[in-house]
Amino acid sequence: MKRLILWLLAIGYWPVAFAQSEFDAANAAYADGRYEEAANMYQALIDEQPDATLYYNLGNAQFKRGELAQAILGYERALRLQPNNKDAKYNLAFAQSKITDNIAEQDFFLSTWVRAVRNSLQERTWLLLSICLFILALTGILLFLLGREPWLRKTAFHVAWLALLFSLIAGLNAASLHKRDTLRNEAIITQGVVNAKSSPDRSGTDLFTLHEGTKVDIRETLGEWVNVRVGSNEGWIRLSCLERI
Amino acid sequence: MALTGFAENVVFKAQAPAQVIVGRPFQLTYSVNQRSRDLRAPEFTDFDYLAGPYTSTSSSTSFVNGHRTSSFEQTYTYTLMAQKAGTFTIGPATIRVDGESVQSNGVRITVLPEDEQPQQSSQTSQTSQSSQSSQTSASSSQASSENIFVRTIASKMRVHEQEALMITYKLYFANVDVAQLTNNTKLPEFTGFLKQELEQGEIQTQLEHYNGRNYQTAVLYRTILYPQHSGDISIEPAKFEAVLRVQTQQRVRSIFDDFFGSYTNVTKMLTAPGVTIHVASLPSGKPSGFSGGVGKFTMRPSISQTELQTNDAVTIKIDISGAGNMKLIKTPAIDWPEGFEPYDPKVTNNFNTTTAGVSGTKSIEYLAIPRSAGEYTIPPVTFSYFDIEDKAYRTLSTPEYTIHVKRGAGEQSAGSNQQAAVVSYTHKEDIKQLGTDIRYIDTKPLQIKNSQFTIHNYEWIWLWYVVPLIIAILLLIILRKRIKENADITRVRYKRANKVAQKRLKAAAAALKANDKEAFYAAIEQAAWTYLSDRLSIPTAELNKDNIAALLAHKGVSEVLIKQVKEVLSTAEFARYAPSTDHAMDDLYKATTNLINDLEDQKI
Repeated sequence: MKRLILWLLAIGYWPVAFAQSEFDAANAAYADGRYEEAANMYQALIDEQPDATLYYNLGNAQFKRGELAQAILGYERALRLQPNNKDAKYNLAFAQSKITDNIAEQDFFLSTWVRAVRNSLQERTWLLLSICLFILALTGILLFLLGREPWLRKTAFHVAWLALLFSLIAGLNAASLHKRDTLRNEAIITQGVVNAKSSPDRSGTDLFTLHEGTKVDIRETLGEWVNVRVGSNEGWIRLSCLERI
Repeated sequence: MALTGFAENVVFKAQAPAQVIVGRPFQLTYSVNQRSRDLRAPEFTDFDYLAGPYTSTSSSTSFVNGHRTSSFEQTYTYTLMAQKAGTFTIGPATIRVDGESVQSNGVRITVLPEDEQPQQSSQTSQTSQSSQSSQTSASSSQASSENIFVRTIASKMRVHEQEALMITYKLYFANVDVAQLTNNTKLPEFTGFLKQELEQGEIQTQLEHYNGRNYQTAVLYRTILYPQHSGDISIEPAKFEAVLRVQTQQRVRSIFDDFFGSYTNVTKMLTAPGVTIHVASLPSGKPSGFSGGVGKFTMRPSISQTELQTNDAVTIKIDISGAGNMKLIKTPAIDWPEGFEPYDPKVTNNFNTTTAGVSGTKSIEYLAIPRSAGEYTIPPVTFSYFDIEDKAYRTLSTPEYTIHVKRGAGEQSAGSNQQAAVVSYTHKEDIKQLGTDIRYIDTKPLQIKNSQFTIHNYEWIWLWYVVPLIIAILLLIILRKRIKENADITRVRYKRANKVAQKRLKAAAAALKANDKEAFYAAIEQAAWTYLSDRLSIPTAELNKDNIAALLAHKGVSEVLIKQVKEVLSTAEFARYAPSTDHAMDDLYKATTNLINDLEDQKI
């Protein structure tokens, strides 16, 4: 049990009471309409200890200030930490409806769906699920081999292979999310208007235009240039024009 | 003060031309409508007294429909002459009417300087134009542009957008006789301006000193203009046509010609020069409620009532008064709360166009009827304009009104049944989407739960897979005997059932040969029971005929076969203890062998 608590602490599932007075002060600033001040206070709290609620509130303060890209970043990060935060989902959709670019999802519907399933839980949740299912599968195998009653053996057999399959899926999701969060290859355009170029230098041909708030995939980084993909478009823009989620 | 009956009827007034010229005599007239005496004129300090007073009296009496109307006037005329240019006031005079002293008004006279070219004949009166000295001058020179022209006078050359300015076309003439102005007038389009013409009364001439000369002037046309955009806007020249009376060029043939006069009418085209107005754009920082109003305005809001019942009307009235481009002011809108049924506002304009621009009052009445009870707040109505004097935007605002609406007498609460039939209809409304906004911040006490984006200590994660796996393998190794047993008990027994049965049958066949009745029946019974027990995986303790029959039926074995199984089992049971023949033993052996073969075929 002790070990379990330690492990839960290590992966950050254990609630920690923290900086309540600063948080209340920031909320008061937001309620008064001093959005810039509130945003700075939330940011200071985040620098100390990141949290989904803080990111969500920061997103709101940035939205009220008119900083659309920063607001979207706040919501995206809040959802990274708390994928089932309904308010953050709503506000993210609202903020995205205000951006200029209308990038329709051009991926195959199945991969969109897979991505949605993957993003619906956090990495550590997937991992925990995978481990639990793996143990369940082992128990099933043991029951199948050791059981006397035919119905028990039959049930245990089916449970075992299903649990093993889902354990694998959950483990792959966790690994995929781990890759996404360590590489940080999703970013939001922070500059009002950016022209994506055909090559990573100033003289490259302008290929397409991106506007503030649009989400892009980073494929490659070269000096101060990054190769980004939006839908089926690919081009080079400056690193300073975007911020990684 | 002796304000008796007669005194009210006494009119005693002084009259003099508004403008006179230095060195030219003019007449100051006092007139009174009652018989009077003892006129005491003020001292003419600024004017030379030439003659007077000449007294004249006129009276008339008329009968209209039997009513007698009589009028009487006595006038006293002084002839005066101005000494120097400037504006002077002649004080009031007094006169006695029936022993009462009556005072006249004072007169203000503007004295214009003399013409700078003394050789011109304008020094003398207009009638002296026909004197011999000017006869030599040609009629064309008489009508020259020096003697008659039209000026374009703009009240302001530099204005802001929407700021009023006045354009006046003024006719100047001297030494010529203007017989009439024709209708052949061509006014510019005034493109880029909103035009507000001033009403033109009868043309009146005035004396004016302009460019060192005294002219008779007449205003031909006046208009107020509101520039509609910034930049330099030109106004094109205007054209007027005048008919002049000039002397003929003919030499004097006889003295009569001169006596009767030899004049002819000449049509002259007069062109008023164009003018360019510099229009500055309004400064930046327009307030949100700005709709183009420029000038100086005040707002007077009022509300009819703040305590009312449902379905009573409430009226908010806003009077915007002042001077400026009143006609362009948009009607500000009231954002009535939900539950009010607003009507289109009623706008009453009361504007006067004067030389200073359009001034007056715009009254806006907003009427709305509350349909449901409650306390409502009417947000302030704002009206923004550009203050032309302060050069800054000003915003006028009504106060925020709070209206208490009570349920009207005719409306019953929903629960009352008495008049339910009458007022049963309640208007259901869906939740109305009034606007969209982000959801509010999360203010629940802060609990840092999910503070990391990714797991950093990955190297130990695999243990959670490996440790349970090792435990499972260990368990399997420890319990491998049990697994083997499991396999024996079920599969092996099943597979060896036939073999075991055949062995027992062989023993039975041997016993049959040896005619060992006891051994034969024991072998047959064992063969049948063991085979069924193994094949159906029934523990020996639970073995009985009904059990077997039920299981066989469940496995889809035919009724006939089940019957045979039952027969064999009971025969073996009973025959063992009953006297029997070899024939019966032989039959049982055959039946048992057949039964096991049939059951093998069925693959139960």
